[in-house]
Amino acid sequence: MSPPVVEVRRLEKLFEQAGPFPWSPRRSVGAVQGVDFAVAPGEVVALVGQSGSGKTTVSRIVLGLEEPTGGEVLLEGERWDGLPESGRRPRRPRYQYVPQDAMAALDPQQTALETVEETLRTLGGLSAADAAARARDILGRLGLGARLHALPREMSGGEQRRVTLARVLALEPRLVVADEPTSGLDADRRGAVLEALVGNLPAGAACILVTHDMSEARDWCRRVYVMLAGRVIEELDPRADTPRHPYARILFDPWSGPLPAHPLSAEGCPFRLDCPLAASVPDGRCARSVPALTPVPGSAQRVACFAEAALAPASAADSAGSPRHAGPASDTL
Amino acid sequence: MSAPLVVLQDLTIRAPGRLLVEGVEVVVEPGRVTALVGPSGSGKSLTARALMGVLDVAPGLERGSLRYPALDPSKDWYDGVRGGGPRAQARLLEATRALRGAYLSYSPQAASSALNPGRTVGQQVALAVGRRASPPASLGAEVTRLLRAVGLDPRTAAALPGELSGGQCQRAALAIAVAPAPRLVIADEPETGLDPVLRRAVTELLVEVVQSHGAGLLLISHHHDTVSRIAGAVVRLRPPAGAPEEL
Repeated sequence: MSPPVVEVRRLEKLFEQAGPFPWSPRRSVGAVQGVDFAVAPGEVVALVGQSGSGKTTVSRIVLGLEEPTGGEVLLEGERWDGLPESGRRPRRPRYQYVPQDAMAALDPQQTALETVEETLRTLGGLSAADAAARARDILGRLGLGARLHALPREMSGGEQRRVTLARVLALEPRLVVADEPTSGLDADRRGAVLEALVGNLPAGAACILVTHDMSEARDWCRRVYVMLAGRVIEELDPRADTPRHPYARILFDPWSGPLPAHPLSAEGCPFRLDCPLAASVPDGRCARSVPALTPVPGSAQRVACFAEAALAPASAADSAGSPRHAGPASDTL
Repeated sequence: MSAPLVVLQDLTIRAPGRLLVEGVEVVVEPGRVTALVGPSGSGKSLTARALMGVLDVAPGLERGSLRYPALDPSKDWYDGVRGGGPRAQARLLEATRALRGAYLSYSPQAASSALNPGRTVGQQVALAVGRRASPPASLGAEVTRLLRAVGLDPRTAAALPGELSGGQCQRAALAIAVAPAPRLVIADEPETGLDPVLRRAVTELLVEVVQSHGAGLLLISHHHDTVSRIAGAVVRLRPPAGAPEEL
């Protein structure tokens, strides 16, 4: 049994923030506060959440672009955080990143073919001939066979996006982290980009999709981690499970109830001030401590909530609550 | 029953060698939300722009009529523009310029790049307020009120667009669009790039601000849930025959 491609344990990232004056005490802000998850070979998981929930910070730590202030990261079973860059560099080509802004990530003077070839020569260590052959192959598989000699400005947004995917996939990575890879694309083009990414992942590679588009998470991932205020507040299979955390429900179907009106709480559960279930939890527990992820009986779903209603066995919650799918499978027109 | 704010009929626009839109009809009534939906390339943004007299393709307008019945029931703004090419279209743009602001306003798709990077958000909102038919008693208080209405801290007024997040820019663009108290607001995908919670907040805000003074709203949207929740009428565009299939 091979180890998970990614495993993070009690991951924590605190940023020091200066006060209003040089002599003011510095405040530490928790961008990531105790995140655990693992991604198995061949698995595509989503990190979802609103802007500022910490999903991008988690993905940057996984890629070794930022150091955690606590916890650990293992890639393919080996420790990854805390390594000097010289220890990481030889492993980096196996762990790849798909950026948000494809146009900015491409050299304006390089054609699609040159872009992929250069990556294969410099990071993949291939000879010029091998690089050319493999670059043509992967570009062809991504539907860019007729666009090999196009410059970024001559390509549509979707085509540019696929060049960045080709560059990443050509290296046959073990892990691909895609940070909102469809942002800025028209809704009806997004599916094609994700299909190109997920459909061309090397066998046994893992993928982390960072997104705030719930329909993408639903269409491409069997496991979704919902983040709020630097923590995972729910883990679910969006096709089989109904979101249970009151915040996750709003994120998956923003029209299902009132929108949060209060700032996140600094103490206890971050969502408690807007939570419809908080009143049902005795002893003000929501204000005193942060709920941990708790398994829902009879499913692989886990929810960070103290309320019994959020943790009731699957059938009871379904009959009591919201529809399994809030709207059509894809909410785009 | 008050007159419609805009009636666009048989809009047909040609680019070299192909039609961009053909036979499009749009009516926006006061106090109502009309949604404009359709796949990429079906001409949603083009239609929205044509609706305010902005035509910038050649040869351009082939057929169609554009009326603002609430303003003047008889005038067809496309008279003399059909088949007239870029020159006639430039004259139309000049003629409709006076309508911008107090009669209709436009919130573009890419809010962050549509904001002036060199002016503070407050200055840009104030400029838009200045387009009102009757100016408010206190400009500063009105800017603060508008920023609050779109969920921005009034201190945002001092910020340059580059210092704001995408969601904040989107909200600022919305404040600018509604600042002239227009009778008709055209919003081109105001939810683009926002997370689901902000998406609903921005949409609701738009509807609220627009309807609070009985204005009409033309909303371009890709989101099924938004359209089904708030639109009173839906105009669905299809790419005209022969449109290239873009990858």
